[in-house]
Formats: sequence, C-alpha cells, structure tokens
Amino acid sequence: MNGYRELIAEALESGWSFAGLYSVGPSGPVRVALAGGTGDIRLETVEPAGGALQSIVDLVPAADWDEREAHDLYGVRFEGHEPLRPLVRHDLDPAAWTVPVLGRDPYQVAVGPIHAGVIESGHFRFHLVGEKILHLDARLFYKHRGLERAAERSTLTDAARFLARACAACAVTNGVAYAQAVEESLGLRPSPELARARTILLELERVWSHLNDLSAVCAGTGLAAGAQRFAGLTERARRLNGRLTGHRFLFGAVAVGRSDLRLDAEAISFAREELAGLRAESLSGWRELVFNRSFDDRLVDVGIVRAKDARRLGATGPAARAAGVAVDVRATSPRLAYDGFAPVTSTRASGDVKSRLEQRQLELVQSVDLLESLLSRPLDASTAETGGAESAMAASRVESPRGATLCAVERDGDRLTRVHLRTGSYANWPVVAFAAVGNMLPDFPLINKSFELCYACADR
Amino acid sequence: MLTLLKDLRRLRRDLALPRPDRGRSLAVRHVDCGSCNGCEHELILASSPYADLQRFGIGIVASPRHADVLLVTGPVTTRMRSPLLTAYAAMPEPRRVVALGDCAVGTDILGSPDEIVGPADAVLPVDLRIAGCPPTPDTIAAALLELIDRR
Repeated sequence: MNGYRELIAEALESGWSFAGLYSVGPSGPVRVALAGGTGDIRLETVEPAGGALQSIVDLVPAADWDEREAHDLYGVRFEGHEPLRPLVRHDLDPAAWTVPVLGRDPYQVAVGPIHAGVIESGHFRFHLVGEKILHLDARLFYKHRGLERAAERSTLTDAARFLARACAACAVTNGVAYAQAVEESLGLRPSPELARARTILLELERVWSHLNDLSAVCAGTGLAAGAQRFAGLTERARRLNGRLTGHRFLFGAVAVGRSDLRLDAEAISFAREELAGLRAESLSGWRELVFNRSFDDRLVDVGIVRAKDARRLGATGPAARAAGVAVDVRATSPRLAYDGFAPVTSTRASGDVKSRLEQRQLELVQSVDLLESLLSRPLDASTAETGGAESAMAASRVESPRGATLCAVERDGDRLTRVHLRTGSYANWPVVAFAAVGNMLPDFPLINKSFELCYACADR
Repeated sequence: MLTLLKDLRRLRRDLALPRPDRGRSLAVRHVDCGSCNGCEHELILASSPYADLQRFGIGIVASPRHADVLLVTGPVTTRMRSPLLTAYAAMPEPRRVVALGDCAVGTDILGSPDEIVGPADAVLPVDLRIAGCPPTPDTIAAALLELIDRR
C-alpha cells in the first residue's frame, strides 16, 4: 500500500514510537500501534495488497518479531524483510531459524528447550568461537498455546481470564492492559478508587517480581546466600499478596469495568508494616551485595546494551532504563493513580548486568514508596464510569516489571473479535540475544537472569 | 556476606521448621510443557528458606538421567510433547511422573485445541497429581513427601 512506510517514518519523526504490529485475520488487515509521548496510542490500519506489505523493519528494527509472527500465524508477507525467518511456526527445520555462521572455527552449542534449572522451556542456539559468543538464535514459542485465538471466541468479560493466564509473573499487568483497552473501547473511564485499586495491584506485582529477580541474579553468579535471602523476601511478598487478595500471584483481582478488592483498616496496616519490613530487609541484603567484591566482579561490563542500541532494538522497562533510556509508561498513565510519577535511573546506567541489577533495586524501593502512599487509607470496591466515545477497537499500554506491555482489542458488540498482547518480555527477547554477543558462554545465564524475561507471555 | 548468612540463620531459627525424620531422598527433574510460569515460580520457592525442601533430601537435578521423578507443569503443548517424551525416556527406572498444577492435572486448560495435546496423563502415566493454580510451595513440599512415603 502506498504511503504506509511514509506514514510510519513521519510518525517516528514526530516523536511517536513503535508499540506493536499485528494482523487482524488471514492476510490482513494489519494494524500498527504507535505510542505518543503523553500516553496516547494510535492504531493505524494498512491493507496488504495480494497478501503482501512493505516491511518497516529497516525503519523500526523492533518490528522484527511482530512481522515474523504476522507472517507465521496470518500469512502476511513482508517485502524487504529478508530473510523472513519463522518465529512461531515449529513445523519447519530448525535450520530455518539459524543464521548461518561460516568459517573454520565457529561451532554451535544447542541449549533447551528443557533447561537444567527450574526454568521455562525455550531453545537457544549459540554460535561460538572458543568460549566467545558470536551470535545467538533464540527459538522460543515452545509454549505457544494459541491463547489469543482461544480468547477470540468469548465475550469481552470472559476473555479476561485468557489474558490473565498468559503469564503468572505479569498477570496483573496483562489483566489491567486488557481491561483498560476494553473500557476505552466501551467509552468507560475508571473511577479514582478503581485506578487506585489497579495501581496497588500493579505495584504489588512489581515488588515480588523485582525481589525474585534480585534473587535470580545472585543465583546466576552462584552466590547462594544472596539467592536464598532474596528468595525468602519473595516468599514474604507473595504471602502478603495472598493475605490482601486471596491469591499469591494476585490472580482474579483484575476485572473489566470494576474492582471487587476491598482492603479494610486492618489489612492496610498489615500491608504497610509488611512492606516496611521488606524495604528494610531488602536494603540490608542489598548493602551486602554491593560490598561483595567477588559478586561485583561477575556483573561489571557483562552483557552491555548501550542507550543507542536499547532505543534501536526497542528495549523496554528496567532493561532500557538501566541503559539510560528514562522511559516508563507509568509516567503517562492517566487511567492509573501515578500522579507525579517520574522514572528512576541509576547513576551508573551503562547497560551492563550490574546496571540492570541496580535498576531493579532502585525500582523496588520506589514501588514500596508508591505503595505506602497508595495504602494510606482503606480501599473499597469500585466501578468504571461512563465518559468517552465508543469505538470498535482500542489499545492500552501498562508498565510491567519487565517493560511496556501493549494490549489491543477489537470487538463486535459484546464479543471479542481480535486481541493482541505484546508484553515487555516479547519486546526484550531480541535485546537479550543482542546483549549476549561478545560475551563468554558461561556468562549467558547471568545475562539472561539480568533481564529475567518470561517465556509464557511472549509465547502466549 | 556475613550479614546475609546471619540473617538467614535468624530466619531459620524464627521459622523453627521441624527436622526430618526420614532418611530417604528424591531427585526431581522439572519439565515445563507450556505453563504460565506460576508453577515454576512456586517450585523455586519450595527450595526457599520457608519450605526448604532440601532438608528432606528432595532436590532439583539438572538431568533426567539423575532423576527419580519427572515433574510436569502446564498443559502439554504440541511443541513440548516430543521433548517431554525424550526426557522421560532418559530416566532410569523406577521412575515416577508428577503432574504439578491444574493445567498438568487437566482441571482447567486454556488455549486453542490445535496447539494443546492435553494434560500430562495424555502423554505419560501419571503417579501423583498436585492440584492448585498454582500449588503453593508448602503444598508442593507436602505432596512430594507423600510420594517418598509411597515409594
């Protein structure tokens, strides 16, 4: 279609950023989500001619996976995306995924889909010379459950459970992104109490998630004392979730158009006390990590992603902020209770494993601070209010513990016709592959842990 | 480092977990066949100081060749069926299969029928089912102890 590439180039020029691309049905139409600087989202529609569309991957390298997925699942061809490797389809020979690395010395190491620890399933193909990584091909989507297609048969309200079950670690984020997109399309706005309920849930999710990630990086370096200390704190954070909402991962706490979560004075005071304890103990543990030289030695200058590359590849969340890209969807979320929010970045911000670890620690403290103010009074059940125009499709972005998550919904009356979820993990996986290059193979688990991405919500 | 260890010792004392009266062990290999990652997160915490599975001699091992138990999570996707069978075939006998979580047990599977084979027992003989979405670390620990007793 004429003008499509020009439209995207112009939008990028005037400050919009790429937020996702998906096909509505077989051979199109294709929608491109663009995010503006103040939190607004545009869905641009483009009709492929004869099932083919010009690729925008040269303008937006971050669209690489999106175009490959639209090709695999909906048969849209992207001219100029050469070679258009498979992403989701597994019926092709693994060679189709693999970038040929030629020469006498390079050899390959295959890892997965089953990993040695308690880790999700996915395949990594390393191309090495000696111990040095030349290139990494990630072949994920072993856990593809076709959740989007399965959800597309249900009503708007019922479909929420498919989104929530895409991923336990992002259950609240994905749920809120879906609920907000549906409400936008129905012309609903959250009441202040509903916005507060959702913001509390989002930050509770971030607290346990960041504690888990601090533990995971310690485990990645073999520092068992640190890994166990932070695993203990993760357990406490999940118990707090269970006490407040009845579920350790906050499942079922997000619904479309309303919130049933009630927190009385007793629950509020318990939560505040527990959060203060988590803050004090995580800071004490953190100080021990900071002054541990042998631990520190493993983190510095490993898995570097510079700001320029983070922007180019579409890195998001703590991974981007650790590279100095101070972008956080929470700063532009009028539907949530983040008034006056400003993203934090570490003074280091050099994009290595150490920066990503520091970033998690800073954001953990920030989340606890946010929760202390959000939990200053009891919380009551709430509903969304009317106050906007209805539309057949809408999209919403929410900051997960791993970065910006987009949810786009299209509906016909009360029925969901298309839903697309592009999570922070999905955006960051190609960045992990980039960060690995030039490092030693034994450092890969550590680099991987410093991103701590989910496979489940990328695979869906 | 000393503070970390001191904190862990204090935590251990405060929790006052009972000492095991069993002298046996269980080597567990986990295979994620398409979970939402909830079972994995809880399984990891089954080894945290609060449940501390290792005190009963229960540990996660890196290879199915070293495992007594295959712990299956998630509904089995079409793509994970073959890796799961490979892992099972690599195990020494006697071997046991545990379905961990509601997806693997088969009580509540979400997804497109063409992408999902079914619960764990659609692929392998299942010896123990641990229900929950996801089961808590305490539930996982208690169920695996029961499996030791059954052996």
